[in-house]
Amino acid sequence: MNAAEKQSGTGRLFVVYFCMLVIPALEVVVAYQHIGGSQKVAAMVSLAIIEALLGVLFFMHLAAEKPKFILFVAVFTLFVLATINYGWTDSFRLLVGAPFAK
Amino acid sequence: MSHADLALGGHTPAMEPSPFAIPAKKLAMWLFIISDVMTFAACLTAYGFLRNATADWPRPFQSSTVINVMVMTFILVSSSLTMLLGVRAARAGDRSAAFRWTLITLAAGVIFVLLHIRDWAVMIGEGVTLLKNPWGTGLFGGAYFAITGVELLHVIGALIAILIMGLGYRSGRYSAGDLENCGLFWQFINVVWMFVVPLVYLLNVAS
Repeated sequence: MNAAEKQSGTGRLFVVYFCMLVIPALEVVVAYQHIGGSQKVAAMVSLAIIEALLGVLFFMHLAAEKPKFILFVAVFTLFVLATINYGWTDSFRLLVGAPFAK
Repeated sequence: MSHADLALGGHTPAMEPSPFAIPAKKLAMWLFIISDVMTFAACLTAYGFLRNATADWPRPFQSSTVINVMVMTFILVSSSLTMLLGVRAARAGDRSAAFRWTLITLAAGVIFVLLHIRDWAVMIGEGVTLLKNPWGTGLFGGAYFAITGVELLHVIGALIAILIMGLGYRSGRYSAGDLENCGLFWQFINVVWMFVVPLVYLLNVAS
């Protein structure tokens, strides 16, 4: 890596770092907004996912790896997350006190 | 002994190319990180389920807690950057610079742990335990301490690993690749914190 490449790489790191500080600040702003609960959750999770992607792609250098490896990590992780989140909507049934699914 | 071994005269073990063109240690760290994603995803999803299904879920976090959490986030994100700069220095062969950055990361991590414990002390002082609290359902305390406790354990474990790896790298025992693998885990903890902050803290700020 020559000096110019190193400088641009370091510059990009600092841009990502700055973004990763701004996003939590945005989350705090969202937290104090008088909006519906589901809207707030959607906004928070979206911001968290963007920040996490920045961290994984640039701080963990996943973007610099081979495409097959990126696919490997993405498929396994997303599949697990999807299966874990399969049943949480059942909590709405519990909220209304219904004993059985309709 | 395999045919491959015999073809090589039986002296050298048959070597396969590294999968995905990365070192085996790095792949192992990524596999461990993916498995740890499952742990935290399960914790946070269970927390989401409980929170959504409980009508009297308390929202106790005052602005002082939010400020504390933002300071913790700043420290953790900054420590991720310093860890990354340390790994870069290690890749460039500058052992002393790499060790300096590792020490800075360590110091930031210790400050994060202390602020975390202070946050816990405030909550316990307000009467929050694993089973009850003064505001609403007792599930809040269990969920809060479980998720932040697992995160804290991971941070402490990672700090110990970073210390051992940093000292080992400086003495020449470990390579830059080993330091990078350790750094990967530290970055992962930072990523997890990015989900803990909005879901556990910011969705429960006092209105």
